[in-house]
Amino acid sequence: MAYVAVSGGEEAIEESIKLLDYYRSGTEKDLELEVIEKKMSLLVDRVMSEAGLYAPTYAALALKQCEGSTDEAVFLLRAYRSTLKRNFYTTVTDTRNMRMLRRISAAFKDIPGGQVLGATYDYTHRLMNFNLKNEDAKALHRKMIDKIESQDKEEITSFGRVSDELKKEGLLDIYEKHDEKPFDVTENLLEFPAKRSARLQTLSRADTGFISGLAYAVLRGFGQVHPTVGELRSGYVELEVLYTNLPEETIYIGEILLTEVEAFNQAEDKNQLKLASGYGAVFGRNENKAIAMSVLDRELETGGDYPPQDEEFVLMHGDCLEMNGFISHLKLPHYVTFQSKLDAVRKTRGKKNE
Amino acid sequence: MKKRRLFKILSKADRGIVLDMADEIKKRTEVVVIKAPEKALAMIKMREPVKESLFYLGEVIVTETTVSVNGVNGTAVAMGDDYDKTLAMAIIDAAYNGNLFADETVLLELEKEQIAREEKENAMFMKTMVNFKSMDSGEPV
Repeated sequence: MAYVAVSGGEEAIEESIKLLDYYRSGTEKDLELEVIEKKMSLLVDRVMSEAGLYAPTYAALALKQCEGSTDEAVFLLRAYRSTLKRNFYTTVTDTRNMRMLRRISAAFKDIPGGQVLGATYDYTHRLMNFNLKNEDAKALHRKMIDKIESQDKEEITSFGRVSDELKKEGLLDIYEKHDEKPFDVTENLLEFPAKRSARLQTLSRADTGFISGLAYAVLRGFGQVHPTVGELRSGYVELEVLYTNLPEETIYIGEILLTEVEAFNQAEDKNQLKLASGYGAVFGRNENKAIAMSVLDRELETGGDYPPQDEEFVLMHGDCLEMNGFISHLKLPHYVTFQSKLDAVRKTRGKKNE
Repeated sequence: MKKRRLFKILSKADRGIVLDMADEIKKRTEVVVIKAPEKALAMIKMREPVKESLFYLGEVIVTETTVSVNGVNGTAVAMGDDYDKTLAMAIIDAAYNGNLFADETVLLELEKEQIAREEKENAMFMKTMVNFKSMDSGEPV
């Protein structure tokens, strides 16, 4: 065979795109967006987190459009996002005032405000519940509404962080608040060494599997010792933007659900008299991702020879869109480049046989 | 009432109620849409607790719009893509700015209901608060 440079295939491509509907046509039942958003919320959370865009209904639509593929859904959301103007930056969001749904500590049993398990799969038996095959969804919905209505009101209070207590004791370093404009990885190419803001933004929107795997590698010995989750909290955080022409006033634009984690480690100082913490914050209820982020934040802070401590390795290879885009491109025709490789091998074999 | 509070009540209110409130204002005033509702992005700025520095968590989709009511401007920005509700919020804001929204009772009543609902939901979650019991000699650890 000689070099084969080709064009064409347009009709086949068009038909191929149409054929995608075949895979969504297996039943006459529609998959309503409300159902995806409200009943597949952990999947929606993951897609929003990896897209870096908090938009539950749009994430549900993206999942419907691509048969539940997280990487395709992330691609769709990122593409859509790129069509919108960014007209606002929120005021500094303070998670201390989070309306808490869950708050636990693996470091202390007694934390200010107490440990609240919220809703968690942690203590469930992983047994298939075959009753869900024919669930009365209306009855379930009504039951939970009735349950809420029957509660005696309990005032919502905010609590300090677990790390605040350690800071008071001098066990964690205290830093002054500083308002340096964050680096924005959606508008600028990453530079190394990366700023802390670039690292946190990149990790927060990273692929869940990628950073979970890296954090696991750290725990297995390819990094520091085992960190302890000082605090994990999930809840609603209110967002505000400045009111036009009245800088002392803000507009409440809504609230987002997020999970944040502080993980404690031994500090680097010689005498080991202090602790240090790593931070993770992600959209939605995605606890393992938030923990993984906090582990990697600390690893990258200390640096070292292992891959999870190498910021270029960690920050350049975990973006869902970029990694899947690059891997996916391998499926596209490489006829010319491959023929070239093939020719080289054939020539070498020919010379050997002479 | 501070803008923050006004928009929090309106954002959390059912769209039907907000639309009705705006319709009532429209009947007795002249409303001009200065900037029609359109979608935009808002980047979330967060402070992290380790070094107290700022970073961007990600973006949210918002709808923004500006109107005038009897010549006084009002604006609204709200998460999501509900154009009609956001427009109604801007009309209410403009009416508020022009002192054409005299009665806050409705808003305060809505706020009361919203807080009550959240406090009930909070009570449900607080039932999962852990009461640790020491497993040794009975002495607290």
